[in-house]
Amino acid sequence: MSLTVAHAEPSLAGVGDYIELMKPRVMSLVVFTALVGLAVAPGHVNPVIGFAALLCITVGAGAAGALNMWYDADIDAAMARTAGRPIPRGRIKPGEAAGFGLTLAAFSVVSLGLLVNVLAAVLLAFTIFFYVVIYTMWLKRSTPQNIVIGGAAGALPPMIGWAAVTGSLAIEPILLFLIIFFWTPPHFWALSLYRAEDYARAGVPMLPVVAGDRETRRWILFYTLVLAPLGVAPWALGYAGPIYGAAALATGAAMLALALRVRRERVGHTASKQLFAFSILYLFLLFAMLLIDRMSLGGLFAHFAA
Amino acid sequence: MTTARDTISEIGKRADAPRFYSPPLAPEPEPEAKQEIGIRITEQQLRARRSRSIAIALALGAFVLVIFAVTMVRLGSGVLTGPDYMRPAQTSK
Repeated sequence: MSLTVAHAEPSLAGVGDYIELMKPRVMSLVVFTALVGLAVAPGHVNPVIGFAALLCITVGAGAAGALNMWYDADIDAAMARTAGRPIPRGRIKPGEAAGFGLTLAAFSVVSLGLLVNVLAAVLLAFTIFFYVVIYTMWLKRSTPQNIVIGGAAGALPPMIGWAAVTGSLAIEPILLFLIIFFWTPPHFWALSLYRAEDYARAGVPMLPVVAGDRETRRWILFYTLVLAPLGVAPWALGYAGPIYGAAALATGAAMLALALRVRRERVGHTASKQLFAFSILYLFLLFAMLLIDRMSLGGLFAHFAA
Repeated sequence: MTTARDTISEIGKRADAPRFYSPPLAPEPEPEAKQEIGIRITEQQLRARRSRSIAIALALGAFVLVIFAVTMVRLGSGVLTGPDYMRPAQTSK
């Protein structure tokens, strides 16, 4: 009789694999939008407190990314776009990713609560919960509205930034939330139009897989029609100045033009790819203009002064 | 060398007589090949583990620095004077 002792093979994962697990590109967008929320909030915040808040939000976003990759490892392995991620590639074991994500989530939320304020910590905890449990575990595999509802998780960081400064919420951060919320469907559906086969193979009910290209293009236009005026709303309602207003009008018009091209496109996915790429630039420009418009460089320093 | 006439008792008197029955000893068992117990870590795994350990150390160090900096900001000069209950009571004239 032979006795076999099962043991875990020591991990080969390096630091880079763990950074990849945190979805650094998504994290950078989260950090940027949270920074804008932090910067445009009324009142002053000490730079050290502001930095601590941003760090906690960044780590929290990374934790959510790691937990998403842990749960979605089977889907990721089936899709060409995500097959190279650390878990499908065998660099990090699912259990390691789960432990890493949970540890970071706990650290980021508790630290934000202790170092900054409780409301910001509650919002961060809710964001992580919403992204991991509501979106990843539930909606993603069950409904074509997955990214519409799940988009709320990605839209919350400016609200967390605002709450970190003020300890409360107002209409302005809610507007920023709505802009990202309505930006998410055209952005992801433009991508899913030319990745539909990938999603179908992985069994993810994205809109083009379930309802087809034509319906998806129609919904992209619909959400862009809501998004463009929402983008202008901070200026129209007096929360932002003319620089932001001009940028929002111009980029919103470009988004609409691209969405119309996507709607009319019958062969190929050129317009979808253009819309996907431009949508990233659109959100970045909108938030960057808000930052520039709301405060001069000197004002920015004053905002962060003690 | 014994002859057919030798008796058992005579055999017993001889110097080279066997004093007791000694069955041939079983051959010494070969020492079992030493088996590696536990996990043998390859050079690559060792490198990966070292890099992870350094990253954890740096992250913890950064965390301590952030906590220290925020404590200084929040308490300011109060960090030197201590909490209220430790200060000497002021007497009113």
